[in-house]
Amino acid sequence: MMLVLLGFAALPTLWVLILSLREQSAIFEPIWESPLAITLENFFSISRSDFPRALMNSFITAGGSTALAMLVGVPAGFALAKSRVSGKFIASWILLLLRMAPPVGFVIPLFLLYVNAGLIDTYTGLIVAYMTLTLPLIVWSMWNSFSQVPDELIEAAIMDGASLTKAFLLVALPAARPGAVAAAILGFLISWNDFFYALIISRSSTSTAPVAVMNFISFDSVDWGSIAVASMALTLPILPLMAIANRYIVQTLSGAVKG
Amino acid sequence: MIVPAVLAVGLFAIVPLAGMLALSFSDYHLIRGTNWKYGFHNFARLISDQRLLNSIYVMAVLSIFGVAAQVVIGTAVAVGLNKIVGKWRLGRVLFLLPYAVPHVAVALIWLSLFTPTLSPINAFFNLFGITVPAFLTTQNGAMFAIVVADTWTNFPFTMLIILAALQGISTELEEAAALDGATRVNTFIFITLPLLVPALLMVTLFRFIDSLKHFPMIFVITKGGPGRSTQATNFYAYVQTFQNSNVAYGAAIAVFLFVFAAVISFYVARLNQRVSS
Amino acid sequence: MKNLLATAFIATLVVGAPCAPAIAQSDEVNVVLFGMPYTRGLQAIADDFEAESGIKANIDVIGQDVFENRITLSFTGATGDIDVVHTPVIQVQRWVAAGWLKPITEEVDAMPGKDDILAGPLDAYLINGERWALPFMAGAGLMTYRKDLLDAAGLDVPETWEEMLEVAAAIHNEDTAAIALRAVPGQGFNMFIFPMIMRAYGGKFFEDYVNGDLTPAINSPENLEALNIYIKLLNEYAPQGAGNFNFAEVNAAAQNGQIVFAVEGTGVVSQIVNPEKSKFARETGLALPPGGPAGRSPAIAVHGLGIPASAENPDAAAKFIEWAVSTETVTKISLAQPFPDFTTGTVADNADVIAKYADVHPDFLRLRVEALDLAIGHYRPLIPEWPALGAAIGENINAAVNGLMSPEDALAAAEQEMADILGS
Repeated sequence: MMLVLLGFAALPTLWVLILSLREQSAIFEPIWESPLAITLENFFSISRSDFPRALMNSFITAGGSTALAMLVGVPAGFALAKSRVSGKFIASWILLLLRMAPPVGFVIPLFLLYVNAGLIDTYTGLIVAYMTLTLPLIVWSMWNSFSQVPDELIEAAIMDGASLTKAFLLVALPAARPGAVAAAILGFLISWNDFFYALIISRSSTSTAPVAVMNFISFDSVDWGSIAVASMALTLPILPLMAIANRYIVQTLSGAVKG
Repeated sequence: MIVPAVLAVGLFAIVPLAGMLALSFSDYHLIRGTNWKYGFHNFARLISDQRLLNSIYVMAVLSIFGVAAQVVIGTAVAVGLNKIVGKWRLGRVLFLLPYAVPHVAVALIWLSLFTPTLSPINAFFNLFGITVPAFLTTQNGAMFAIVVADTWTNFPFTMLIILAALQGISTELEEAAALDGATRVNTFIFITLPLLVPALLMVTLFRFIDSLKHFPMIFVITKGGPGRSTQATNFYAYVQTFQNSNVAYGAAIAVFLFVFAAVISFYVARLNQRVSS
Repeated sequence: MKNLLATAFIATLVVGAPCAPAIAQSDEVNVVLFGMPYTRGLQAIADDFEAESGIKANIDVIGQDVFENRITLSFTGATGDIDVVHTPVIQVQRWVAAGWLKPITEEVDAMPGKDDILAGPLDAYLINGERWALPFMAGAGLMTYRKDLLDAAGLDVPETWEEMLEVAAAIHNEDTAAIALRAVPGQGFNMFIFPMIMRAYGGKFFEDYVNGDLTPAINSPENLEALNIYIKLLNEYAPQGAGNFNFAEVNAAAQNGQIVFAVEGTGVVSQIVNPEKSKFARETGLALPPGGPAGRSPAIAVHGLGIPASAENPDAAAKFIEWAVSTETVTKISLAQPFPDFTTGTVADNADVIAKYADVHPDFLRLRVEALDLAIGHYRPLIPEWPALGAAIGENINAAVNGLMSPEDALAAAEQEMADILGS
């Protein structure tokens, strides 16, 4: 079962790898017919293009927005899960509403707002836009994670004389760590993958990688090789990132209680 | 603590939304001239628009099947990965890769896999004299292709959240059930699954909201074809806004979609709240 | 009150927009183009323009879909961040109707090189007595065929679509399909190819386009005959899945030797006959697209450079355009890139250019000129509503190709939708 699922996840990735290595004239030939028609030319040509810079822009904007959204969103999720304030449900639902509007409808007002704010083609503009995407996710999934942390744990800490902030930082947060890491990863990847906001807000100097990929589709040709290389370039840098984050998802709740 | 969160994004999210709402009542048209007259004319037209009706059907099929596949596959992978310990744990990174590929590239990859003349799948089966059917020239086939591409890139999202939720579930309960002689399937259904409900509801909600905004897959894989049989509502709004220059009508379709998503998510979200408290 | 508020809200956004910080300096010109051989070539030699004029050209070459979204936004917001814009003839009517372009009649008339620009493409940008852009590229429809396979089967190159059906029936087999054509819906996709068959049979879009009678006339016996041929070619003599092919799939099928015939624009044709990209380039012959009872009507696509109404630096922009279409610049690009589609006449006299394209294919430049001579300027109607019309017609044609509706119903539906778009 796991093998079938692994095949579904990995085989298309293998296909991308093959495409990225193929010579132009053999690109769609079955690999078993011409296994030697491979080249690194696609990699060289893309490294000479604007793409590496776009990749850097993706890192800056996705990283920046995730950090900020975590900073704001994790406490908000805690408040939602543990406070007894009324109306918190409506507040969180309104936050969720921000994610719901189909971009096509508000693209023109959004663009005009950004022009007026002087945020076109700036990192700040993109980071703020990405926060509208990631913040609801982070708040909601932290709400979920924190509600799995038993109230008694936090109450016990407060009885021991800890302030609410301390109870949050030293007790609740470690217990909800798997959820927090998962939320951060997903938040990062949502921004990393965004095409729409980058299309509208970025111009040549802050253009992100997904938009740069689109530039390989031109008027009368599709540069399959470059698109394949670009796809790999977008997945490979996150591998080490994921591997590091991976270590933090393994801690179970029981472990946190004992610690 | 929730106040700064809402304020931080409020301005940049709500102002465009308000703009969308204003546009939907206007007569803003790029080439026909605009009088800035406001009224319900766009919404009156929506009611009798056959293409909107078709687009809702397409959207429903794509979203229901797509989200269901993502939740089922994501949960299956998460449960499988959760059991794996030791150095193979790094394997979960492999499952995350599809989520990092930009949607345009995902769509192109699956377009090539579903195009018989380009696809290695067709070439492989041809070796054995088997002809794989062409998917993209029928409505159901094309919708299937879009669902597959969408599932491939988005199941890691559900996988990761379910995995995190699984980490939060104490293993003691499962072990106790196993001692009582429960089978692994029974343990999963009666012990683990109920504990996953809040997380499952949340990922379903998030994936559902996003899936209503279906766009790049359709735009690259089928261009809305065959005919216009895969023009989901969001794609149709794009057609009206950019192709037909009718910005006001495009905004009205978007507002309809927004309200639809808001109503559905309200109930799912309330369910989520009740379950988690 | 509500109306007032809403208007005030949108007006603030729109009127506020031009106050945004000016991006352009007076000695800089911002150029936005979408990717094709000419634009990439132009970007590569941007420094030459600065050396010549002292004006720095910031040339941004982006994907076509990215381009279309961004310029729509920049133009509706009148942001002034674009001085020179890629202007396809198929869009220029719409842009002029929306007030997005600045007329450049005076600037063009003052250019000494003006008479060197091919008259057809030049006048394609003449609307309401004003010029709105200067063409740099005119692509035409051509047919490629596999000489070796036709010779082996003892078949001749078809001159008409009817002969094409016969040849296709004779040569189509499991390994090599007879033909591939763009079929995916879109005014630049199936509606770039299908009108070649349509016009060969005397079909038209409107009652009398030339004299201004824009009554939709797509539902005609001529168009039905043409549509049936198109459907038959795609369903019986094309590779599996051809009903969803776009130029990329047609190109790949030809380069992989999976088809005998392709009818495509010169941009794609030049890739099919390029030995670096295609294994069968040397076996590929070139011909004009097939004709019919009403003659031959190759597809045509013209692209040019225009100046947005909101441009902050129109004088520098005009200088840039003059440089960009000059004999010297276009010759350089034509030699550095696969770019045979120039509209600057004297480039064709350059011995190096002639030698280069004769080496790619001996008939290439000659056939391209022949095709351009045969092509009618309004191959796709030059009206502001065309992008919407072309999409609507293309969707119905594609539905008929894939059996979702009958050809008769598709044409009737297309005609009704044309009337709706033009009427309401």
